[in-house]
Amino acid sequence: MRVRARFFVGAGLIVLAIAYLIVSAIRTTSEYYLTVDEVIARQSQLGDQRLRIAGRVKPGTISWDSTTLTLRFDIVPIPDASVGPIKPVTAIDSRALRVICAGEPKPDMFAPDRDVIVEGTLDRAGLVTATQVLTSCPSKYKPKQAQ
Amino acid sequence: MPELGKLALAIALLLAIYSIVANIYGARRNAPDFVASARHAIWAMCAMVTIAVVTLWTALMRSDFSLEYVAAYSSTTLPTVYKITSLWGGQQGSLLFWTWLLSIFTSIAAFQNRRRNPEIAPYALAVMAAVAIFFLGMLNFVTRPFDLLATIPREGSDLNPLLQNYWMAIHPPSLYTGYVSSTVPFAFGAAALITGKLDDAWIRTTRRWAIFSWFFLTLGNMFGARWAYEVLGWGGYWAWDPVENAAFMPWLVMTAYLHSVMIQERKDMLKVWNLALIGLAFGLTLFGTFITRSGVISSVHSFTQSGLGPYFLTFLIVVTLSYTALLIFRSKDLRSPAEFESYLSREAAFLFNNLVLVGIAFAVFWGTIFPVLSEAVRGVKITVGPPFFNKVNAPLGLVLLFLTGVGPVIAWRRASAKNLRRSFLVPTGLGLVGGVILFVIGYRHYYAVVSFSLCIFVVATIVAEFYRGIRARQAMVGENPLTALTHLISKNRRRYGGYIIHIGIVMMFLAITGTSAFKEEKQITLKPGESFQMGGYTLRYDGVTSSETPHVAYLRASVAVLDGGRQIDTMLPEKRFYKKPEQPTTEVAIRSTLGADLYLVLGSYDEPTKMATIQAYVNPLISFLWWGGIVLALGTGVTIWPTRVRAPAPAYAPGAREVAE
Repeated sequence: MRVRARFFVGAGLIVLAIAYLIVSAIRTTSEYYLTVDEVIARQSQLGDQRLRIAGRVKPGTISWDSTTLTLRFDIVPIPDASVGPIKPVTAIDSRALRVICAGEPKPDMFAPDRDVIVEGTLDRAGLVTATQVLTSCPSKYKPKQAQ
Repeated sequence: MPELGKLALAIALLLAIYSIVANIYGARRNAPDFVASARHAIWAMCAMVTIAVVTLWTALMRSDFSLEYVAAYSSTTLPTVYKITSLWGGQQGSLLFWTWLLSIFTSIAAFQNRRRNPEIAPYALAVMAAVAIFFLGMLNFVTRPFDLLATIPREGSDLNPLLQNYWMAIHPPSLYTGYVSSTVPFAFGAAALITGKLDDAWIRTTRRWAIFSWFFLTLGNMFGARWAYEVLGWGGYWAWDPVENAAFMPWLVMTAYLHSVMIQERKDMLKVWNLALIGLAFGLTLFGTFITRSGVISSVHSFTQSGLGPYFLTFLIVVTLSYTALLIFRSKDLRSPAEFESYLSREAAFLFNNLVLVGIAFAVFWGTIFPVLSEAVRGVKITVGPPFFNKVNAPLGLVLLFLTGVGPVIAWRRASAKNLRRSFLVPTGLGLVGGVILFVIGYRHYYAVVSFSLCIFVVATIVAEFYRGIRARQAMVGENPLTALTHLISKNRRRYGGYIIHIGIVMMFLAITGTSAFKEEKQITLKPGESFQMGGYTLRYDGVTSSETPHVAYLRASVAVLDGGRQIDTMLPEKRFYKKPEQPTTEVAIRSTLGADLYLVLGSYDEPTKMATIQAYVNPLISFLWWGGIVLALGTGVTIWPTRVRAPAPAYAPGAREVAE
């Protein structure tokens, strides 16, 4: 039985080591993942923290300077798909965050009304300085004729 | 025509239900006629699903846009090869394809076991049919591939341009083959639990299936990595995205399983563990499908999000609970009389290898579902990205690499000092010397130094094994070295095939280490004629040309690669603008050598000033990833190629005498 016990100790140590690795890595690498609404609600508490923000690119707000590689746009909350057919974001929606991303090429899939994940930090004025803009790629395209 | 597909799927569902009833009745009442009838039902089901697949393929080829699926994923201008691959380009089609593979594998398993395993095979086939019922139910009632459109569009909306790539044409089928074929060992494991026939018959019967599944999971992941590398244009091949993790977790658990079954075959230990692992592997394939289809976890390249999530989750829960209940119910019959004797033994090395593999799988799982967990517990979504996965998995991966060297060579039961000296003295010495040399010549990336030195250690243990085997044959049979080598491999294919696979794995470790530790990255905006330095070369931007076809418009940058003033190559990174659907894509330019890849992306182009932004990457050793995959495929071939003449007992079977010992 003593041999068996020794093995449980060995296996237990490995399990503990793995658990420790996971816990410590989570502590040092985790980022808030928030929606536009959540960011606006907690704006005061989020200063200088790295965030991932999910939102939808508001049409008519995009400016792209290809010489300085500066992309500016607004993101607005992603409408709840369960409510009904997805409506394009209208100008009435005032809940928006301004995003500026400099030094990165414009992602291929970047377009008005696309859902994006912005990685970066938020300043006091509500401007998001992004280091990365990820576009989610729809694998399905609705036929134009169907509209 | 679509009616034919619909009808075939409906009949297939009925046949699957019948085959379960007939299999179980036949097995319980000991009525071989019923078991035979169930087998025929499975073959008929396979034929029906095949008809459905052919029907959908025909519709795709003929651009029959009355079908919603064809209109959504194809078009008249789509090249033929991608019309074929459109079968798995969308949700309904990929589920149909999945079901097709399942019915084929079930049919083959039914054929293989028409006279073998009379006690467990009927139950195993019933389990497979039950899985088929779930998928056929989805195809018949929830996500139907043969739904018609009310108004027929004149043109389809085409396959996503990112999927119009040859790696993407073969990546999903490989992964699906890997996923689906894991059902066979799972079903036999479940059958062993149901019937209480808990010896290792279920393992031996499905050994080739397990390797087959593992192999295709490997290939699927490799092709996916290659696709990401060539198509997505961010310079890497693996991003720890939930979708990638979903494919990686079953691979890890399957790898653990392939190793731990050897312990059961040889020592009759770890019975519960093996049954748990195969259950876990199968569960993770369902989990993977669940998270990619449900949208519960946001992924950068999420698939069609749909209402399939709850169905898959329900099925996953039912499978997990019933399998766990069976395991608990049989647990007292699964006790093993044998025990571990020493840490310094092959059993122990394999056990630790298993713990680490499952540990990595757990870490990946935890990181993947962390946003969901943190939202449930703390009310706020917290994500972990690639840094988390790299931090956890780098040390675990190195432990695994070390065990890759130890496990196959260390003695069973208890290694003597002599065994340790003989097997490990030289490899350890070589590994240490290699590490010290790397340190002395200036490498200060500690993980990389450890990794390279472990690679040397593992390769040395394997080469030494081959060397000893050849020497033994030369001494005993008097063969020349080459004949001795071929005989050595052909008479112990499982063992030496395994070594070859390990060599492939070491090559992959080299590539992963090289790209994660020494990758270079540069982004630079240039006027035509300007140049920059990268990876020991001078790169000169010579301007952009444009061209156009009805399908696509191109912007092509020309970059000259100069080595010491002499031009050795011209690289042409592109931007393409697909017209339907309107979407730009990136075509990277890669100049591959064994030492490193030079990888260029045309990031952005400004027409008035002719300035282009080039993103350049140097990926050291990455070619070893792909070559490692080829070596691994070779080793797998050696391991599972059917034997005409029964070889003397496989190396790990009880009582086998090992040539090298």
